Amino acid sequence: MHPLLGRGAWLGIYVAGWLLPGLLLTGLLVLSSDATWAIAAALSMPLALLQAFLCLAAWYLCRALPIGGTDLRRFAGTHAAAAIASSALWLAAGRVWAHAMPDLSDEIHAPDVFTKTTPALFAVGILFYLLGAAGHYVYIAIEASRAAESRAMDLKLLAREAELRALRAQIDPHFLFNSLNSISSLAGSDAGAARRMCVLLADFLRTSLRLGKHDVVRLDEELRLAAGYLAVEQIRFGARLKVEQDIEERARACPVPPLLLQPLVENAVTHGISHLVDGGVIRVEVRIERDDVVITLTNPVDPDRAASAGEGVGLSNVRRRLTTIYGPGAKLAVARDAATFRVELSFPVATEG
Amino acid sequence: MIRAIIVDDEAPSRQLVREYLGAHADVQVVAECGDGFEAVKAATELAPDLIFLDIRMPKLDGFEVLELIGRKLAVVFVTAYDEHAVRAFEVHAVDYLLKPFTPERLAEAMERARRRLDSGDDLPIAALAAAARPQGAFSDRVLVRDGPRVSVIPVGKIDFVEAQDDYVSIRAEGKSHLKQQTLAELETTLDPARFVRIHRSYILNIERLAKIELYAKDSRIAILTEGSKLPVSRAAYAKLKLLL
Repeated sequence: MHPLLGRGAWLGIYVAGWLLPGLLLTGLLVLSSDATWAIAAALSMPLALLQAFLCLAAWYLCRALPIGGTDLRRFAGTHAAAAIASSALWLAAGRVWAHAMPDLSDEIHAPDVFTKTTPALFAVGILFYLLGAAGHYVYIAIEASRAAESRAMDLKLLAREAELRALRAQIDPHFLFNSLNSISSLAGSDAGAARRMCVLLADFLRTSLRLGKHDVVRLDEELRLAAGYLAVEQIRFGARLKVEQDIEERARACPVPPLLLQPLVENAVTHGISHLVDGGVIRVEVRIERDDVVITLTNPVDPDRAASAGEGVGLSNVRRRLTTIYGPGAKLAVARDAATFRVELSFPVATEG
Repeated sequence: MIRAIIVDDEAPSRQLVREYLGAHADVQVVAECGDGFEAVKAATELAPDLIFLDIRMPKLDGFEVLELIGRKLAVVFVTAYDEHAVRAFEVHAVDYLLKPFTPERLAEAMERARRRLDSGDDLPIAALAAAARPQGAFSDRVLVRDGPRVSVIPVGKIDFVEAQDDYVSIRAEGKSHLKQQTLAELETTLDPARFVRIHRSYILNIERLAKIELYAKDSRIAILTEGSKLPVSRAAYAKLKLLL
């Protein structure tokens, strides 16, 4: 099916556009014979209309013979044959019309005019076919490049999605090993505590699986997940691990990427609390500053332990995720002094939806 | 009777080993330690036969604890991280328990520990010290034990190190710390861009160098920012000139 057929408005414009070739054809008939303008117009306008549809037929050949994908001889031969056939068909129809149309003058008769101008009309028919074919090739090329563009866009979107998926936090298996070991220990000494820890661990895992399926979650869900993680770790570390939260209420509903805080909280435990004999406080602060959500995580570190060179995988993944999602609107800043480590991330408060 | 200590910074973890050991009548737990310093102190004062040792701990990790104890002792590592296994065997650990583990697995470790203790094999201290350091990395601190006390000296605070027979004397912040190690062994753990062997008996932190003076013909001394004067060998002088 030709792309113009079935699209009423465009087809109308196309046919109207043939008024101009129709006028040129009329002029040609007047110049190359003794026809009056009235006879020439009556003869050529229907012919132009017919040609408008004959030209569309070239579409099917053009599609079957893509440029560059066809042997040149076959390409030229087929189009030449089609041009001759198209022009001949046109002339045959023109001849029928010339005889059938009402006589407009006593001296000059349409069949005579037609016979006299047949060679010129044949050439015009060939020309029309070739122009039509060229037009279709241009259209095919434009469509192809548009399709390639949209495919490239699709691929880009897919790649971005895959990247975001890869950057998403994975639960550290050692967290599970250590938790299971704690449960194993509690099972012998305090069965109730062992059961409570099983439930905490299951809650945490279930929530992280659920949140991980979404592209955005509410900030308070993310905070609850972090709290769940810390609750499990508190059983392992006992009094060494304390948690403080200071959350601005209106920030709770803000949409955030899921599992964004998880690697940061995990770092605070494994690179902070776990190195300290007496442990310390992990502090989570959330506030809204102008149009940004600002999340600050502070944890104590061992002053005698040299800061590790460069950024860990967790931190750099969070950074890349933020820039992939928010672009330059997101920031992640890390500050370490002798005894504390602080990571601050900010990104635009997007409206949900 | 086998005297054992349990070292782990997580209380539930210590509790589990203690509970499992309850089934072994020939074992007596003489101490539980929550960090590396306590472990070194307990190992020095209580002279246990066997240590159940976590690897990731605050202050001192399990390998550093072993380096500092430096005496005959059967070691069973208890950790959630299996990537330490190779190093554990390098330090001739009796066994290696991955958390969580069964009482049967601990009984197996105990069986191996009994055999090791009966055989009377020694724990090679030098191999231990070398294995305690990750391959290809230079130390950022030097650990020194004085009786049950452990000092942690960040390498940036070291002025210079002097060889004294089988020991090295590490000079830092106006104090000298004696450590049982040869100067050559210590030299391999220090970053050569910061620490230079200026003499058969001296390693210098080049950040502390104030100036080098000609002392006699072909004989130079280094004067440190804190005032000490150290001899500089001729070969070392050439090396120093390149570095500075």
